[in-house]
Amino acid sequence: MRADATRRRRAPGERRHKKVTQVFSAAADTRFRVVLVLLALTGLGAGVAGFAWSRSDSFWNVGVPAPQPIPFRHDLHSGSLKIDCRYCHWSVEKAADAGMPSAQTCMSCHSQLWAGASVLEPLRSSLALGQPVVWTSVHRLPAHAYFHHAAHVTAGVACETCHGRVDQMPRTVKAETMSMGWCLDCHRDPLPRLRPTDDVFAFDWRPEPASPAAASAEAHILPVEQLISCNTCHR
Amino acid sequence: MNDSPPFSSGSAPSAPRRLWRSLEELQDAPDLQAWLDAEFPNIARAGSMDRRSWLRLVGASLALAGLPACSGEGAVGDPPLLSPPEHLPGHVPGTPLFVATSLELAGLGRGVLVKTQEGRPFKIEGNPLHPASLGATDVWAQAEVLSLYDPDRSRTPLQQGAERTWEDAERLLATMRTELAFGRGKGWRFLLPQTASPTLDRLVAAMRQGFPEARWHRPAPLAPSGAQAGAISAFGRAVDLVPDLTQADLVLTLGGDIFLFEPGHIRLAADWQARRRNREKPLPRLVAVESTPSLAGARADQRIPLRPRLVEGFAHALWAGLAQNAVPAEAHPAVATLLAELRRAGPRAVVLAGREQPAAVHALALAINAHLGAFGTTVHAIEPVVAPTPPEEDLPALAEAITAGEVSGLVILGANPAYDAPADLDFGRLVRRVPLSVHLGFGRDETAAASTWHLPKCHPLESFGDLRAFDGIVGFRQPACVRLVPSLSPEELLANLLGQAPDGRELLAATWAEQWGADFDIRFTRALEDGVVEGSAAPRIPVALRPDWSPAPRPPLPPAELDILFSLDPSLWDGSYANNAWLQELPKPLTKQVWGNAALIAPETAAARGLSTGDLIEVIAGERRVAAPVWLLPGHAPDTVTLPLGYGRESAGAVGWRVGFDAYLLRTAADPWITSGTLTPLGSQVELISTQHHHALPGHAVFRIVSADRPDAGGPPAKLPSLYPEWRYEGHAWGMSIDLDACIGCNACVIACQAENNVMVVGPEEVARGREMHWLRIDRYHGGAPENPDTFFQPVLCMHCEKAPCEVVCPVNATVHSAEGLNDMVYNRCVGTRTCSNNCPYKVRRFNFFDYSSAELAPPDDALNPHVTIRERGVMEKCTYCIQRIWTARTQANVENRPIRDGEIVTACQQACPTQAFRFGDVNDENSAVSRLKREPRDYAMLGELNTQPRTTYLARIAPTGENGG
Repeated sequence: MRADATRRRRAPGERRHKKVTQVFSAAADTRFRVVLVLLALTGLGAGVAGFAWSRSDSFWNVGVPAPQPIPFRHDLHSGSLKIDCRYCHWSVEKAADAGMPSAQTCMSCHSQLWAGASVLEPLRSSLALGQPVVWTSVHRLPAHAYFHHAAHVTAGVACETCHGRVDQMPRTVKAETMSMGWCLDCHRDPLPRLRPTDDVFAFDWRPEPASPAAASAEAHILPVEQLISCNTCHR
Repeated sequence: MNDSPPFSSGSAPSAPRRLWRSLEELQDAPDLQAWLDAEFPNIARAGSMDRRSWLRLVGASLALAGLPACSGEGAVGDPPLLSPPEHLPGHVPGTPLFVATSLELAGLGRGVLVKTQEGRPFKIEGNPLHPASLGATDVWAQAEVLSLYDPDRSRTPLQQGAERTWEDAERLLATMRTELAFGRGKGWRFLLPQTASPTLDRLVAAMRQGFPEARWHRPAPLAPSGAQAGAISAFGRAVDLVPDLTQADLVLTLGGDIFLFEPGHIRLAADWQARRRNREKPLPRLVAVESTPSLAGARADQRIPLRPRLVEGFAHALWAGLAQNAVPAEAHPAVATLLAELRRAGPRAVVLAGREQPAAVHALALAINAHLGAFGTTVHAIEPVVAPTPPEEDLPALAEAITAGEVSGLVILGANPAYDAPADLDFGRLVRRVPLSVHLGFGRDETAAASTWHLPKCHPLESFGDLRAFDGIVGFRQPACVRLVPSLSPEELLANLLGQAPDGRELLAATWAEQWGADFDIRFTRALEDGVVEGSAAPRIPVALRPDWSPAPRPPLPPAELDILFSLDPSLWDGSYANNAWLQELPKPLTKQVWGNAALIAPETAAARGLSTGDLIEVIAGERRVAAPVWLLPGHAPDTVTLPLGYGRESAGAVGWRVGFDAYLLRTAADPWITSGTLTPLGSQVELISTQHHHALPGHAVFRIVSADRPDAGGPPAKLPSLYPEWRYEGHAWGMSIDLDACIGCNACVIACQAENNVMVVGPEEVARGREMHWLRIDRYHGGAPENPDTFFQPVLCMHCEKAPCEVVCPVNATVHSAEGLNDMVYNRCVGTRTCSNNCPYKVRRFNFFDYSSAELAPPDDALNPHVTIRERGVMEKCTYCIQRIWTARTQANVENRPIRDGEIVTACQQACPTQAFRFGDVNDENSAVSRLKREPRDYAMLGELNTQPRTTYLARIAPTGENGG
């Protein structure tokens, strides 16, 4: 009712039908197709880029140091001073955790050396208060994965194989992605990456060319089918 | 279930017996058939859904699917690394540490090992050195770990319900000390339940000496009070019995449940099965005379259901037949054959009366044992582990004193009388009349609400103490973790009142330093390490029947319309575990009921009164009445109703609040176990939740019974050709054997599995839909007439099939075959299609319909096993053969550069089992224990005709032997 009443009356002589103007030009079809192809390419490109990024080091925080309470230098302790890994990571041959040093361990040297250094203040307060030093974990495994240090170390997997040249790191960083694909690379074919268990804690180790099978004969390794079973790492 | 053609032609040697799960199944009820036939019963009952709400939910879940990606967790720097603990040299963080301790049940101790990591207990195992455990546990010991982390436990002192600080409480204790010293304890009453603890006894003695005017009340609400009275009547002195079932050829039980409720029940079950496994002797016989079906009755070769009031007559007839060779004419027909058996077994027979039986029955049982010469062979008498309570120290005496206004101060240590004291005392009201009442309790329970002051009591896993076991051996209690909340143990509170330092360890040491003298340090350390005190078993004492003893005259036949029997609950015990969600959701062995209790009656009694399961009735005893739903329990004695205790708590906490009905309301001081009454139907119905039809298996050959002389279960079926891939195993191939002849249905494995594998609780509504998450269930079958059926238990867990039907149907490869034949479940691949579950013939796969692990009923993170993944919503899960334990053993063996030993890997169910029904090991190794068991003629594969070639096989149950067997 109301719509009818307000409708504009047609002027006398006004043309009843206007010619419909061309909305789409002749090239519109082509443009549309180009856009479609571009969209598809963008999607594909985003996928490829995402895939590439997810496999890149930056996605896995490789090379990124974490804030630590004490600016501990592995290059100094392990590299220059040649302190054995097991002096601090004392349970690496026994348990799932490699073990972190207690303040007493640090103090066996630092009660004498750099005893008053301000950077060691957290260490001194840890000892005084009986509270652990809260280090930040750098090599944190993804969820759902269970890892056992001793199982690897006793089988001949060197520290260096996963943690890289720690003896050259001023600040501790991840050297490998620690992704599932990276783990499986080794689990599918462990022998070339293993060492004699005596050399597990050495850096810059080269296999003796004469006996490549020595390491495998010595190490007690599970069959590959077992190493790549899901339950090996996932419970 | 109906005969379904594909399955009923199983490879069982003879036509199998028809077994049934429930009365409805026996009568082929149509609605039950609909449930069993439904393809997805657990979603069919979730309610219908229209198209619009379905679209809305789909849209919402799509929109929410992106949310988890928004969490800001990076790969760097979340959890801290900590340096090692200073006080545990040599201990490696991340590896479990075991603490030997003792847990209490009805005042007696069971030795356990508490598995802790980073200072928090997460699993409890039995202590192999402890005689009441032998390495096995019961459901209550397993569930204790969840109670420790109970969010509803008491955290602060309360005064008239208002929170107070510990400084306030200290001031209260100082006032109490002054008052006690001033009047030498006049007007003060102490209420401490009987506990077989030398340290507590020492402190109580010191209190009695220091405050001679104070009165002590040490009730033992669950003690077999009839047993002591019976012993005094028959032998002239109180004794405790320690049965040795490994020597028994014939065991006759008169009521009670030697496998679940009697003192030393774990040991009794272990000994009984050890005797059955002894092949040098013929199979022993177990005869159960009982009113309410029990686990012992289910396992018995012969079961005689009898009204409670008739048990005494039965025992009397046996005695008359044995001693005077004159069986009364009106005696039960089973008496004559039983007499012959008893005479034949002679000293190798034993008669055990249950805790609910009156003194006369206990006296008769003792007399029969003495007459047969059983003392010294199948049963030993020792000094009472818990001294009998003199009447002036029992609760009614305290009630009288309070009513008379003689009590100015009342201290209640660890008891909850406002809930579980006899109803005629009305204890909650009495406590309110005392001017100053101080309650020490673990939770803010009914008594805490009635008391003027309430102090938090620490958990047994947080404090020092000691406890005697059923045979008198002392086990030390020691903390497995720091106190999670500031709290006191009863020992420490008493020491505080005595003016001593409330240091639990010192109090314990002081008790034993007196006895051990110079050897103290070595012996104390060793006792803490082992969990038992060497050489502390109570000496056996000779007993002889009093020459002037004659059995009390036979009671007349029951005039009452209905006998009422109170029983402990197989899940909640006496109600102290009411706030434990694991136990609330544990299907009871016989009814499979969860989240509630019911009045148990016989089907024929119910039929006569027009009742069916779920009908509400009112049970009336004297002036007291209680409304309860009924449960028709096959094999129950006629004209009797069993009321399980422990439910209907008003102040248990969020989990146990008002679940079920409170049978204590009918229980009086005069008749604590058996009374008479009537029942009236109320005309309404409630839905009782039971799992007995969930995951029902087709066919009759799933449970097989063989005869002792021809133990052939048909063996594993011939391997049929299969389209599924062939597997080769070069290293280990794990397998399991479950002995159905050993399973007593006690449920310890179910809770052990739940604790070990972080199996979540889902709540009553979800269980009603068939969504309970237990990886291990115990199927219960009956055979024969419902008046007195045979009962069989069958633990069912993932069979780890060689040709697993679940593996081939998973669209995302989330369930795969491992190199050692395990059927792995990969949670982070699972998208929740549930196709695997649908294709599993054993119905052992469980689906997380909701995020149960972060729901209200989920245990706190600290209680969870850190070695097992926590599953999230939308993921399928199932038994893994305790893969974490396999890997712990394997890694240890690798580090030590040796092969895994046979028996080194023990699954959680196997470790908890009192009768060693489970055996796990390498089936590739011909000499392993499991391989030997699988070569036994009793071995068979459940649903083996489907060619699934399961790794878990069963050893068939051996049919009862001897007179009236079967």
